[in-house]
Amino acid sequence: MALMVNITLNGQSIQVPLGSTVLEAAEHAGIHIPTLCHHPALVNLGACRMCTVEIEGERALQPSCTYPVREGMIIKTETPRVFNLRKFVLEMLFSERNHYCMFCEMSGDCELQTLAYQHGLAHWTYPTPNPRLHVDGTRKYFLMDHNRCILCRRCIRACSDIVANHTLGVKYRGSKTMISADMGVPFGDSSCISCGTCLQVCPTGALVDRKSAYMGRHTDTQTVNSQCSFCSVGCSSQIIKRSGRVLRVEGDWEGSNEGVLCHLGRFDPFYETRDRVLSPMIRKGDSLIAVEWDEALDCIADKIKETGHEKAKAWITGKTLHEAMESFVNVFEKKIGMPVGALESTLLDLNLPSNGTLSDIDKSDCILIIGADPLLRHLVLGYRVKRARNHGAKVILVGGDGKEGIGRYAHMKFEFGNLDDALKICMDSDMPMVLYGEGLGITNAEKVKVLESRAKFMGLFPATNGYHARELGLQDGVKRDHAKLMYVLLEDLELREETVQTLKKAEFVVSHSSYLGAVSEFANVILPVPLWYEREGTFVNCEGNEIKVTAAMNKPETVLSEVEVFDRLALRF
Amino acid sequence: MAKVKVATDWLAACAGCHMSLLDMDGRLVEILDKIELTSSPITDLKHPPVQGVDVGILTGAINNSTNLAVARMMRKRCKCLVALGDCAVFGGIAAMRNSFDIRDALARAYEDSESTVDGHIPKSEEIAKPIKAKAVERLVKVELNVPGCPPSPDAIYFVLKELVEGRMPILKDELLKYD
Ligand code: SF4
Ligand code: SF4
Ligand code: SF4
Ligand code: SF4
Ligand code: FES
Repeated sequence: MALMVNITLNGQSIQVPLGSTVLEAAEHAGIHIPTLCHHPALVNLGACRMCTVEIEGERALQPSCTYPVREGMIIKTETPRVFNLRKFVLEMLFSERNHYCMFCEMSGDCELQTLAYQHGLAHWTYPTPNPRLHVDGTRKYFLMDHNRCILCRRCIRACSDIVANHTLGVKYRGSKTMISADMGVPFGDSSCISCGTCLQVCPTGALVDRKSAYMGRHTDTQTVNSQCSFCSVGCSSQIIKRSGRVLRVEGDWEGSNEGVLCHLGRFDPFYETRDRVLSPMIRKGDSLIAVEWDEALDCIADKIKETGHEKAKAWITGKTLHEAMESFVNVFEKKIGMPVGALESTLLDLNLPSNGTLSDIDKSDCILIIGADPLLRHLVLGYRVKRARNHGAKVILVGGDGKEGIGRYAHMKFEFGNLDDALKICMDSDMPMVLYGEGLGITNAEKVKVLESRAKFMGLFPATNGYHARELGLQDGVKRDHAKLMYVLLEDLELREETVQTLKKAEFVVSHSSYLGAVSEFANVILPVPLWYEREGTFVNCEGNEIKVTAAMNKPETVLSEVEVFDRLALRF
Repeated sequence: MAKVKVATDWLAACAGCHMSLLDMDGRLVEILDKIELTSSPITDLKHPPVQGVDVGILTGAINNSTNLAVARMMRKRCKCLVALGDCAVFGGIAAMRNSFDIRDALARAYEDSESTVDGHIPKSEEIAKPIKAKAVERLVKVELNVPGCPPSPDAIYFVLKELVEGRMPILKDELLKYD
């Protein structure tokens, strides 16, 4: 049990764990202290002085977010002296830069503004010189308006401590201080990887999301708690929507991803440019004609019967959720008798365990990355590796070119030929962790097995629900070549060129996908599928946890769920 | 009891604050039982009477020489001056142009705007001279600031009611807003 100390808070005697800050002690006692630079997910810095309190025996007021409690401490959080200093801090912040809320994107949700309301700031006490600072719009997804920045440094701490990217810092001193990227380059030219964590923690209108700017603040919008289905990490997310439109996605601080997302889940879905498939279509002559579901399904069923089920194949992307994936296997393989396969590797042939968790990465002292690059397709997991590295973990890369992604962070790099040397180092460490991917290969996987008794393993499945695809025994079908008739469930996947070429060789192709793409150029039948925010169901992430995807919107009436499509197709056999 | 005399005028404003005042609806009639509106931009009498009023309300920023004269006259003729709305309290929309040179701002408006053909910046001695946009309290003494863009009818009603009853209003919660 933690050692406890006795303190007096606003006249109330309480016991709190030794090592708590005064702010934590107050929270514990249900006493609210206003804060600004403090953020529950970040290390406290004491940059703003909003949280000041009176501590008996101390000459000056002290910031409660960084001040540790000690035995017998007497603290007052609500004296006029405290209130006046907090108000003074706010008055200084408002006089420093441009805080004309009336035309600020953040107005309504801004933490600075809320504090000003709470402290009754009805006007600006001090002159507002308003230096004309620039707006940095060089980054693709969001803007930095230095005029609204209060230098609370939340962004810097998020970037360094959570994402371990260390892009942000400050330049100049005193009132000239500016948030800057790398050695003062425009944000767009910096080492920023667009995870958007700084955007999410910024308390003011200094960081502004381009796509959802001025589309409504908290009271106008609804939040749907969901989980990101763009890779097998499965980060907890919040989908923010308003009037039938999804505005943006934010990370959920309660999730195992600790609030962090990557650009694949946070931003990219809003930059989709492909045309959506909105109804079933059949190729007649040179053109695709929209048809009713029954006509499309009849056409597919007839063609499968005519071709013969043994000369037909069905491939599925591992992006598909459980319910649809199971129904796919039941209908195509069990009912119709077509061989089924996956469009990506399911790591099945490697025959290795996948029993590690994201927090095992934090605990590990030696991380072996082999045949995979977590900074390409499993980014939030990659940030964890970088964070563990900051805390002293050794990062060993086997079989990567090392120029891109995680390569830059590896302490040691080995060719597959020297795998044994890498394994030896892992054997000698206390808590090794193996992150493996499709590049590993069966022979090398055999060798890695020596670590099974010592290390935690995690498969970096190339597709979201790869873990479950493996449980279902699905294998990469593409390697096994095409058949006369091909049915492909793509979800929103953009196929690799070689797979497109393979499909092109089939006589009859059914493309079941949310967007038109390379396959729809020649597909004979095209079926629509719900979008990421219209899907409801589960998948298993790389930790083996069940991830729940919640629909934020209804799908269009002409779009059926995958399960419904397979049920209706099954009735025809 | 004699009615409280109130005068109001606008400076560099969009009229939104006065619209919000009218938006008090039924409560406007109720409050008119207790106050006498001596002058306003939307009545025949525009200027506060020389004899003076109890409460003067100004909306908008001080943006040019005429605004300054109007604000000074109101200040001289009222006992309690209220700055109503973000433009009057902070400088608001008009203050956006402070980060540009006045000459550039005028050129943008009169010569370079997309819809202008053969434009020129008006130069007559008769018209007001633009100055740096400022909150009213930066140039004349103000007793009460009521921010909001515009302040809500509820906030304006509260302010008038408190003043009528001889109290200095303290804005908080839903009545204190900057947008
Ligand atoms: S950052 Fe906050 S306080 Fe500053 S203008 Fe925007 S809403 Fe107002
Ligand atoms: S950009 Fe936002 S988070 Fe970063 S210092 Fe400025 S106000 Fe704080
Ligand atoms: S987006 Fe992510 S990487 Fe880029 S500056 Fe912000 S926190 Fe750092
Ligand atoms: S790491 Fe994966 S699950 Fe997390 S936000 Fe990125 S794409 Fe989504
Ligand atoms: S919240 Fe404690 S100093 Fe900023």
